[in-house]
Amino acid sequence: MRRPSIALAGSALLACGLAACGGTSDNSASSVSLKPTTAGGDSANVSGMCAGTPRTGGSLVYARQSETQVLNPLEVRNGNGDIFAQELLFNGLVRSDPRGSFDIQPALADRWTISKDGRTYTFHLRPGVRFSNGQPVTTDDVKFSLDRFADPRVNTVLAAAAAGYDRTDIIDDATVAVHLRHPVAGFLYNISIFPAVITPKSLVEREGRGFWNKPVGTGPFTVSDFVRGSHITFRKNPNYWENGKPYLDQVRFDFATDSNTRLLSLKNGQAQIADGVPFSQIGSVQGTRGLQIQAVRAPLFVGLWMNNRRPGMDDVNVRQAMQYALDKDEINKAIFHGVGTSPNSVLPQFKFDGDDSQVAPYRLDLAKAKQLMSQSRYPDGFETTLQYPAGYDYYKQLGLFLQQSWAQLGIRVKLIEQDQATESQRFYPGDFDMTFPYAQFTSDVVVPDEYAQFVADPSNGLHGFYSWWSDPQVTSMVRQFTSSTSDAERAKLWPQIQRAMMVDSPWINVMDLPFVNAHADSVCNTTVNALGADHLENTWLAQ
Amino acid sequence: MLPYLLRRLAQSLVVLFGLAVVTFLIIHLVPGDPVQQMLGARATPHTVATVRLQLGLDRPLLAQFGSFVGDTVTGRFGDSITQSAPVGQLIGQRIAPSALLIAYGMLIALVIGVPLAIVAALRPNGFADNLIRVATTFSFAMPTFWLGLMLALLLGLELHVFPVSGYSGGIGGVLRTLTLPALTLGLSLSAIVVRTLRSSLLEVLQTEYIDAARARGLSERRVIGKHAMRNAVMGTITVLSVNLGFLIGGTVVIESVFQIPGLGSLLVQSVEHRDYQLVQTLALLAGATVVLVSLATDFLQAAIDPRIRLASA
Repeated sequence: MRRPSIALAGSALLACGLAACGGTSDNSASSVSLKPTTAGGDSANVSGMCAGTPRTGGSLVYARQSETQVLNPLEVRNGNGDIFAQELLFNGLVRSDPRGSFDIQPALADRWTISKDGRTYTFHLRPGVRFSNGQPVTTDDVKFSLDRFADPRVNTVLAAAAAGYDRTDIIDDATVAVHLRHPVAGFLYNISIFPAVITPKSLVEREGRGFWNKPVGTGPFTVSDFVRGSHITFRKNPNYWENGKPYLDQVRFDFATDSNTRLLSLKNGQAQIADGVPFSQIGSVQGTRGLQIQAVRAPLFVGLWMNNRRPGMDDVNVRQAMQYALDKDEINKAIFHGVGTSPNSVLPQFKFDGDDSQVAPYRLDLAKAKQLMSQSRYPDGFETTLQYPAGYDYYKQLGLFLQQSWAQLGIRVKLIEQDQATESQRFYPGDFDMTFPYAQFTSDVVVPDEYAQFVADPSNGLHGFYSWWSDPQVTSMVRQFTSSTSDAERAKLWPQIQRAMMVDSPWINVMDLPFVNAHADSVCNTTVNALGADHLENTWLAQ
Repeated sequence: MLPYLLRRLAQSLVVLFGLAVVTFLIIHLVPGDPVQQMLGARATPHTVATVRLQLGLDRPLLAQFGSFVGDTVTGRFGDSITQSAPVGQLIGQRIAPSALLIAYGMLIALVIGVPLAIVAALRPNGFADNLIRVATTFSFAMPTFWLGLMLALLLGLELHVFPVSGYSGGIGGVLRTLTLPALTLGLSLSAIVVRTLRSSLLEVLQTEYIDAARARGLSERRVIGKHAMRNAVMGTITVLSVNLGFLIGGTVVIESVFQIPGLGSLLVQSVEHRDYQLVQTLALLAGATVVLVSLATDFLQAAIDPRIRLASA
């Protein structure tokens, strides 16, 4: 079972509800709720405190692993530390399902139509939506925001998401037509993420850079106080467009980069929710009365990159042998406290992924691995290096585990620990045999288009996503996949691409991981979308 | 006195310029690129080039150094590339928590250390002396992150006396939020105070003028407090002032355990992100503090010890 379905999560919830496991230290029961769920709402109900109707009011303190540094979505500087704060402040025309499915939902546009050629999207604005300062959202604001999204001089972070954007035409007071230069299959997904949010044209133009200190958006919250390095406080946006939401009056993100500090403030009651629970401490949180773990499915994976030009990595037999020599279940148990899932793709989990019956994961098979090695150009093994980022105990453990596993094939791996900046500096020019390029490797979108193009579009200069691997057949399939306008066709194509890449394994996805959060039992309905961003407008506090 | 002062100031400027050159070179020469760090997996060669151009990172090193010096001399300090904010503002927000933490920690170190050192020195190798030496060695040897966590567990989580982390301003806020971190810092510094003060007290107590003072029938309190301490405290002041320089940015572990928005965490963060402007300015700031503190220490010693006053006059 590659990915627990919603039905499974539901049944786990039922079992858990009867045993009232959330509030106890009953490990057998709470480990059930540990499986990545699609929606946090499930786990919150577990304690029984969250039965009944949501309560309005109260304030929530969230101990956060990554600091928020910048509130301008076009200038993200600190990854999810910035993005997840911005998600509380702004909305786009559409959004990723707040409850964690891969679906796109209406947001500021309540409906849209797509022309037959897939090149014109007509959006109808949701009537009556206002910014947090009370000013109505107009088609001018939409055009202004989308034009900025598509301008690589303004959107310095992710202008690639606007690939194919031509222009936005204002049809009337409530309708805009977005024209593309060519069909972009993932367009709705691309405008569902942070750089495509709608901001008030007049204010952004008038206030310039100052606007972003206390920005005005349509999101459920507004900024009331932002102290860099310490905390950011959000207050309820009274003009928010979803009826009755948000329930909370106030949310404060306390930046606590030290994981012990985060858990201490949670146990102390100073914070009611914390993210980035270290794998080694999941058990300790589960054993604490009144706290529960929430494992959230996210496009997060442990990507072990291989340089396909280097000796050993340049032979597909070797790469497959290395896959077969790994006991991923053991890695999951020993290093990730069992919260990971054994991947059947070299990329993170995406919409359109085939399940295990369509694309088989590599399972431990040492005999097969040795046979593949003997067929390869390196029957006696070889020497190689593995670089990993310093400061994460699980990368160190993982490095040792991999070193031992591959020693059985005669592959002698030298481990190199270096800081993250050095790691990425050596990654781009291909100065590595094997490397974990990013400590937290996540995708920005829930569809595979962006990463598929990184891998298989030779024109972007990324050298097969820095693996120096290429396959003309995959390239042409990806081209077809990313320009198709039929979801049915895309759903059929992607598993084929996924399989072709899995078979060739230009690199190894060691493990798919969830985001591991923890919160007090009294925090209800902690919804998280498929990108791992919290949707705190649905969250409320039980008495 | 004035020529001496001017000469010291001129020396300091040379030191600071040298420091600026060295920090600039080090942070630019270590591998790692701020733009790639910032963009992560989204860093296509095209976006990297665009952002580098916007941030002025494509200019030759000498030109970048020139604008760094220019910015510093004019006091504008430039902008942080990874936080999109003026460096002056970023540092300004973080000076107070760090300065208060260091001052409070030093105070605690003195309050704990001075009496213990006196007790220990009065009966060297006695029971109290040995106990004190073992205890301070223990508190000095414990890593600060562990000591801090233990204090947070005990006084925060179990006894609920203080919050386990966070920072707020104002006298009440500082007392509430900085006491635990300052205690952590003070406990590890107190070992230094006890060690240096005890050994110099021992030395002083064996001198003839102490015997003379005792022979004149002065109370023990007066002998120790006035005659012995005045001479013995010099070494401790020097050691503490050297440590003060080190503590600017050296409190990072405590800051991260207790989640205090200070300069230490800012420095580590800026190094991790290769935020050139911020690293350079912070290093220069720490250097300037060390230089100023050592100047001030000289004056303080001159004020306490007439021999220094007379020698430099």
